[in-house]
Amino acid sequence: MKKKLGNLFDKKWAAPVFWMVLLIAAWEVGASVTAINKRTPENIMPHLYQIMEAAFSSKPVANGMSAAAVVLTSAGATLGRALCGFLLGTALGFLLALFMKLSGFVEKLMFPYLMLIQLIPVLGLAPIILAITGDINKSRIVIAAILSFYPVATNTLAGFKSVNKDKYDLMYTYAAPKRVIYTKVFIPSSVPYFFTGLKIAAPMAVTASILVDTLQGDGGLGCMLSQSLKHAMSIYVFWLIVLFSAFIGISSGYLMSWFETLVSPEKRCVKKSGMRREKRSYGTETKKKKILVAEREGK
Amino acid sequence: MAQKRKRKKSLWQRGKENKKLQAALTILLPAFFGILLLALWQGEVLHMVFHTDSYTLPLPTKIGSILTDNLNKIGENTIATVSVASIGLVLGSLLGYITAVLAACFPKLGRGGLSIIGAFASLPVVAMAPVINNWTKDVSNEASVRSMVAKVIVVMLISAANMSLNAYRGLTELEPYASDLMATYAAKKSVVLVKLRLPNSVPYIFVALKVAVPASIMTAIVSEYFAEYITGVGRQIRENIVLAQYATAWAYIATACLLGIISYVILMIVQSILLRKYH
Repeated sequence: MKKKLGNLFDKKWAAPVFWMVLLIAAWEVGASVTAINKRTPENIMPHLYQIMEAAFSSKPVANGMSAAAVVLTSAGATLGRALCGFLLGTALGFLLALFMKLSGFVEKLMFPYLMLIQLIPVLGLAPIILAITGDINKSRIVIAAILSFYPVATNTLAGFKSVNKDKYDLMYTYAAPKRVIYTKVFIPSSVPYFFTGLKIAAPMAVTASILVDTLQGDGGLGCMLSQSLKHAMSIYVFWLIVLFSAFIGISSGYLMSWFETLVSPEKRCVKKSGMRREKRSYGTETKKKKILVAEREGK
Repeated sequence: MAQKRKRKKSLWQRGKENKKLQAALTILLPAFFGILLLALWQGEVLHMVFHTDSYTLPLPTKIGSILTDNLNKIGENTIATVSVASIGLVLGSLLGYITAVLAACFPKLGRGGLSIIGAFASLPVVAMAPVINNWTKDVSNEASVRSMVAKVIVVMLISAANMSLNAYRGLTELEPYASDLMATYAAKKSVVLVKLRLPNSVPYIFVALKVAVPASIMTAIVSEYFAEYITGVGRQIRENIVLAQYATAWAYIATACLLGIISYVILMIVQSILLRKYH
């Protein structure tokens, strides 16, 4: 029996599932304890089934909409803008990296600022951007764009720089024009780095967009979150938003990995033939790479 | 006269090949750019570009004067933010490191646990801060202590997740054959841990810190938005904007930026001292 149990944990999915179950169990125990000790347990730690119940109940909480409808409509407003900003920031970041690679002048000019912006708490700027743009939708887009701009730019630039010299020399012996060198060598080999940047940027764009919501009451997840916290509507809306934003934050990273395998055939191949030497958890890989890149360029 | 005349290089070309000039340019160009930007700001050209006025986007001189006038108050708030960020960072990193060591000792369960931690690392702070706020309501009767505890916990969780993921890599991705060598010595697990794994993880600790230090300041600022007690650089930015005191808000923004940069510089200095023998 014990051996069987041991074998079970050799499976890849077994350990995460074990921890998830443990976590849910711990939450439920905590919820039961607070239910006994506190006057308003739903403010502190409701049972998970209560949250689910709230998600599926059709009882109107605000403006005649059910809790799930409130969350989904406000999520549409928030995430749509986050996506806009994310795409804009990504495009700008990629272009800047390309320009920096093409011209040493631009690189010298911009590189210190690219390093500097990573150290600045950009989320702290959210209120002032709201004040400058004067429009919540615009400021959502701008903040999400800034936050996704610099991880993409630094990582893509590192990707351009990581190109093997042999490859470049080969293209040189072919007398390939610059345009071909870029489309055939530089851009393809920067793809994994580019996606590393995206994986860092995606959850940040979501966080930023929700945070901007909390600053002004005009719909959106963050706005509903703070209203629900102030008991303007059912507190379960708050818990639903917490769960929902956690889900979005976590899945956005995985979504980017999925896109990556979609656009890079070589990765699919390697995965299929089982040549991947070791399974790496995604979080460490991206962060590590980002830092190694920063280190290398710092020197 | 078949003498080949060497074509005189253009000034541009000569400049490109001059190493000294290029080295000087790496410093001069960004400095020039920064000064240009400040000048445009001061000359209100930026205001025209962004369609704003010098009220929402005050001139640098105004921000500077407010910064020096309110040094005491800004100092108080800075201390609040820095203490939250640094206590959270230290506790979180310790917690994360211990988690990583445990995970490395029990790899079967540990690796799966870390993949879950990795998922939680991308949890938005906005979702976490209010929850922790609710949980810490009973910690103390003082609102300042309560809020402080809540903020520290949020920062702690974020930096713990980051540290555990990186430290686990340091503890498990060893030099080739190093663990085989230890096996031939018939070294005990505890000896392998102390002599091989722990030293191997030191550079990875700094890799984690390089992400965690700016992140902890950012997290501290964001969790201040949700805290009960009004203090800290981030909260002041928001409060001052609500009161439409934009110049003061900008002074706090400048402080926040400085905080980020200074803490990173300190980290770099510490790293270069501690990691000397690794290079």
